[in-house]
Formats: sequence, structure tokens, C-alpha cells
Amino acid sequence: MQSEDLIHRLVDDLRPVRPARHPGAATALWLALATAVITGAVLFLGLRHDLAERLASGFDAPQLVMTLATGVLAAFAAFQLALPDRSRLWYLLPLPAALGWLATMGWGCLQDFERIGPDALLIGVSLPCFSVIMGLGLPLTMVMLWLSRHGAWFSPGPVAALGGLSAASMASIGLSLVHHLDAALMVLIWHGISVLVVTAIAAQVGPRVMRLARSGG
Amino acid sequence: MSKTWLLAYPSGSSLMVKLRLASAGPNVNDARDLRWSRLMAAAQSGDRRAYEELLNECLPLLRQICRAKLRDATEAEDAVQDTLLTIHRARATYDASRPFRPWLVAITERRALDRIRARGRRSGREAALDLAMDLPAPTGSADAALDAEREAAKLRNAVQDLPESQRIALGLTKLQDLSLQEASARSRMSVGAIKVATHRAMQTLRRRLTGHD
Repeated sequence: MQSEDLIHRLVDDLRPVRPARHPGAATALWLALATAVITGAVLFLGLRHDLAERLASGFDAPQLVMTLATGVLAAFAAFQLALPDRSRLWYLLPLPAALGWLATMGWGCLQDFERIGPDALLIGVSLPCFSVIMGLGLPLTMVMLWLSRHGAWFSPGPVAALGGLSAASMASIGLSLVHHLDAALMVLIWHGISVLVVTAIAAQVGPRVMRLARSGG
Repeated sequence: MSKTWLLAYPSGSSLMVKLRLASAGPNVNDARDLRWSRLMAAAQSGDRRAYEELLNECLPLLRQICRAKLRDATEAEDAVQDTLLTIHRARATYDASRPFRPWLVAITERRALDRIRARGRRSGREAALDLAMDLPAPTGSADAALDAEREAAKLRNAVQDLPESQRIALGLTKLQDLSLQEASARSRMSVGAIKVATHRAMQTLRRRLTGHD
């Protein structure tokens, strides 16, 4: 087929489309949806009994702020990368916040060690951590992939990975509101592992999901 | 009314184009880009005449970019068609408040890069028919080389003898490595018809070349 013939076919096939949301507007929509889902989960599971005390002590606040920043910036970067004429360097946007998140959790480990000694380094199993982040993170990832499905044409892997990171970050915030975990090292490991797993699954499976979502409309 | 506020406003492609035109000032360097931006905004609203005008005007630029990246003229033209398909399917991603050319060039370069990667994967799996004739025989004998040449000719003839629909489907899905959706868009065949025709082509070739089903 000649390219000129293809143009005729494409013109015949033309239908009006709604322009894609600006990345800022898409991020705001995503945050509203994620907040609604997290709120629902919190209402279902109930707030942790010591939440007010923990927030007042200032212990968890920096970590929550960094987690939220990671979630917001990863989402914005994903929506930027989903567009063809945006710089590929957007994928670096959430990196400082993610490093800050790790730093706040690492600082918490040091404070625990100073407070209670080597017992602070004991690592237990926390399947509720893993299951809540996976249980919230994966469905939220699907929502992100739907919102950024047009990125399937351009950078599906990075868009999906950043979408997964954002979803997992929001899920981690939800978990922090409902689940009691004293040791910072446990938070670092179990939140960290869960977030990495969700991000990796999104990067692997996400492009396929985005292509399916794209062909559906 | 600030441009920042308008950029956050979710609708109104033509409004965006008007804003760019109004704010462009006396030194408009790229009148063509503004024209294409206006045509694309109209195409997003469903204006077929604007869309046809736009694609035909962009075609030389697409060919120029693809030929610069893919030396082979046939492959470059395939990349041009890939780009046209992507432009069509992803037309909603164009933001009328931004220049058109970077959006167009980014899509074109990505499709050309995809072709280069696909070519690399193919050359790792299969030798080209012509190249197969140049490959040294494993035993170094002239007879083995002659056999390889005969096999390659036999394959070419078998492909040429396929019914047209099977030959087209095989060429698009196996030789050009297109997805079923892309092959369907290139030919006049549905995805299901492409699948069936490809399967039958492979069966026919297998039967003819090996004598088995």
C-alpha cells in the first residue's frame, strides 16, 4: 500500500477525539481517585490506635511527606512520559523524593537503634504490610495505567513503572494509617519490598495492559 | 487570563491555538508550525479536510526523517506508514498550546527506531534469503552451498505461489514483523482474516517444502 493511500484510509476513519489531559490535571484526577480508594480502605480497616500520638511526636511525619511526594511526582512524571514530545528526563523527577523517603526511614532506624539498642535491628515477618500494599497498590496501578494508556505508543515501560511506583507510594501511606509497626527497620524493609514488587510488576505487565486499554478506547 | 491557567483547562484545542497565535508576536519564526498546529486542532475536532491537508503536507518531512535513519528505502517507507498510523491513533496526545513539529518528529523518530530494533531482532533469528546464499557451507563443500542456494530459491518460489491474501498476510506479519492490528490497518483485511491467512500460508509453505503438514 502506498502512504498516500493509507492517508486516504486514515482520513475516512477520522473521528473527533478529546485531547489528552494536561499532566497536571491528570495527576490531580489520579490523586483524587487514589485518595478516595485509600480513604475507603482506611474506613474499612480502621485507623491505627496510636496514629494521633505518632503524628504528634513528629516521628512519622517526614516519612509520610516523602512518601506522598514520591507518589505525586511519580504520577506527574508518568503522565509527562506518556506524551511523545516531552523530555525523557522526566523519569528522574521522583528520584529525590524516593531517596528522601529512604533517608527518613533510615534515620528512623538509627533513632530506634539509639533508643532501644540492637533489638531495633530484629526483622520480623509482616505479611499484613505486604498484603495491604499489594492489595491496594495493584488495583491503583491498573487505574494509573488506564489514565496513561496513550503512553503505550511511546514509553510503555517507564510510564507503567512510574505508575506502579506512584500507586505503591499511595498504598504505603494508606498502610501507615492503619497498620501498627513500631520498628523503623520493619517499615523500611516491608514497605520498601512491597513498593519495589508493585513497581516491578507494573513495569513488566503494564505495557500489555496499556495496549489492551488503548485498543478498547 | 494567564496562559498557565489556560494550559490547565482540559478542553478547547482551538482556543489554545488562538492563544498561541495571539501571543506569538511579530517575530513568528515558524508559520508552517502554527499552520500545522491549527490543522491538527481541527482534525481533533473531526475536520477531515484539515486532517488530509495536514498529513499530506507532513509526508515529505516524515520521509526525510525515516530515510535519514533507515537507509533502505522500503523500510523507510514502512516506518513512514507506521508513523502515520501512530499519528492517527495518538492524535489526542497533541496539545494545541505547544509546537506541532516536536510532537511529529518525536513520533517519527520512535517508529524509525522501532524498525531498527525489529531489524536487529530479525537478523539475529533469520538470515536474509540473499545473505543465505553467501553463507559458507558448514563442510566447506561446493555441493552444500549449491543446496543452500536451491533451498532459498525454492522458498522464494513457494512464497510467490501463495494466494495473494496469504502472501500479503505473511509479508506483513512475519517479514515486516507487524502486529495483527497494524497488519490489519495496512491491508484491507480484518484481524481475524490476517490470523487465518498467516496460518494457512505457513501450512502451505510447510507442506510444499517438507511434504508434511
